[in-house]
Amino acid sequence: MALVSLTDVTKTYPDPSNRKKQIAAIDGVSLDIQAGEIYGIIGYSGAGKSTLVRLINALESATSGSILVDGAEVTTMREGQLRKLRLGVGMIFQQFNLFNSKSVRANIAYPLKVAGVPRAERIRRVNELLAFVGLTEKARSFPDQLSGGQKQRVGIARALATSPRILLADEATSALDPETTHEVLGLLKKVNQELGITIIVITHEMDVIQQIATRVAVMENGRVIEDGEVYSVFSNPQHAATRRFVSTVVRGIPAGDELAVLRQRHPGRIFTVSILDGDTGQSRVFEILTRAGLSFELIYGGINDIQGRTFGHLTIAVTGADAAIESAFAEISALTEIVEAR
Amino acid sequence: MDDVIKYLPNLLTATWETLYIVSFALLIGGFFGLILGLVLYVTRPGNILENRVIFAILNIIVNIFRPIPFLIFLVALQPLTRIVIGTGNGNTAMVFTMSMAAMFGISRIVEQNLLTVSPGVIEAARSVGASRLRVIFTVILSEALGPLILGYTFVLVAIVDMSALAGTIAGGGLGTFALEYGYRAFNDPVTIAALVAVIILVQIIQFLGNWLARKVLRR
Ligand SMILES: Nc1ncnc2c1ncn2[C@@H]1O[C@H](COP(=O)(O)OP(=O)(O)O)[C@@H](O)[C@H]1O
Ligand SMILES: [Mg+2]
Repeated sequence: MALVSLTDVTKTYPDPSNRKKQIAAIDGVSLDIQAGEIYGIIGYSGAGKSTLVRLINALESATSGSILVDGAEVTTMREGQLRKLRLGVGMIFQQFNLFNSKSVRANIAYPLKVAGVPRAERIRRVNELLAFVGLTEKARSFPDQLSGGQKQRVGIARALATSPRILLADEATSALDPETTHEVLGLLKKVNQELGITIIVITHEMDVIQQIATRVAVMENGRVIEDGEVYSVFSNPQHAATRRFVSTVVRGIPAGDELAVLRQRHPGRIFTVSILDGDTGQSRVFEILTRAGLSFELIYGGINDIQGRTFGHLTIAVTGADAAIESAFAEISALTEIVEAR
Repeated sequence: MDDVIKYLPNLLTATWETLYIVSFALLIGGFFGLILGLVLYVTRPGNILENRVIFAILNIIVNIFRPIPFLIFLVALQPLTRIVIGTGNGNTAMVFTMSMAAMFGISRIVEQNLLTVSPGVIEAARSVGASRLRVIFTVILSEALGPLILGYTFVLVAIVDMSALAGTIAGGGLGTFALEYGYRAFNDPVTIAALVAVIILVQIIQFLGNWLARKVLRR
């Protein structure tokens, strides 16, 4: 059974410009998140990602639908039960949301105090967490003395204090530079692999999904428009929004201005070949072109590693006899997807 | 100069009275102002114990009483002061009136300072399972402590101001001293002595307040 299961969930807010009207921030979402995975939720600002994730730990209450966390229905829980639920669901934030008046140690100890953990045990657990996130020597510092990456590490340690099964990450790296982002994502991966904690990662950056998620849901206007294995969403996006996200990390088929520039610089006909994991050897493609007596040049594209699998697009400019090009085209078509730029 | 020495015991008594009145007004007004401000903050729509009715009622009451000029407030409150304290005169009566006035002023300052606590921090505390009351007392108040101390320092100076005015109508203190022995006796050195005493008092208050706030804010 799924660890987190949403069925037909909606969440409406009163429209700020017209109190009688309602806006659906979440508009009929169904999702299953399995124990042990890193589940990505991507969408543009306002898509409803933050609202969705806050329904899972009931910081927001759903308007309708069912939300099961570890088999328990969240939507009908009373305040006391919700507090217990939240001890099992950690959360980290874009702005870190650390307690500025408390030291790093006190920040991490806070959830333990809330949970009623005795002092000696608290100290032991905080030391353990400090070591886990690599901030042992910052225990007595205050948040305003830390860098962004360090702050997020404290956020992660705090979220893990009560040993939750689930970690919610709401744009946890959006305020960080690329290098620090990479570091924090590495730490999240370690949380997932070493502690077996299920992570739900919310982001507007496809890069983040590519780096750590196993499955992904794409959100638009409060709905999930597409979901599945990260590899299949990357290699075969169904919706325009998904294609736009994929194109931010994967160079796809050149079009518009990019294509015009390529045409200016390269003579011949321009084709794009999809390189997928497994059977599509690039060498086969090049071999066919060479055998046909064609001269060609790689002019655009890239190969990506997604979840340890290869995926990419290569665009080539081919010059030679039209008949030879046609027959090579047919031969490659049998192998993988190839399209000519128009 | 001789006059200053002559009235020195009176000056010391007046300073002592001012200190007494100001301390108690701050303690009592500060305490109830804190509660009033806290309730205003937590019941405000969208906040942690949102309650539109309670918020609206308290908000109107504070809006009505807070802007009343202190002199008018003092006079208008006389009947109530007489009921509660038994007399409308003397330092205890002054403490009562000033506490009331300070309470309304402080409530707004408390509310404003609490509003600076980031909603995200409150959400983080809620997300680890802290109850609303726990969040109020262990997160909201402690996050706002530095600005609150500065706010109270500001109020304390305003209370010294009030005490001088109130004293001239209903009690003692430096205001009365300056008026009686200085202004009415055309004795400028004595007025200046009162002025110096009040400046020293206010400077000490401000220094202590800033020092405490810095300590809390670690800056
Ligand atoms: N408390 C709220 N009151 C009214 N509208 C809200 C509230 N929270 C979110 N919304 C609306 O819900 C929609 C989704 O918001 P959000 O979940 O924050 O999106 P995202 O995290 O994807 O940027 C937005 O249109 C936003 O304006
Ligand atoms: Mg968001």
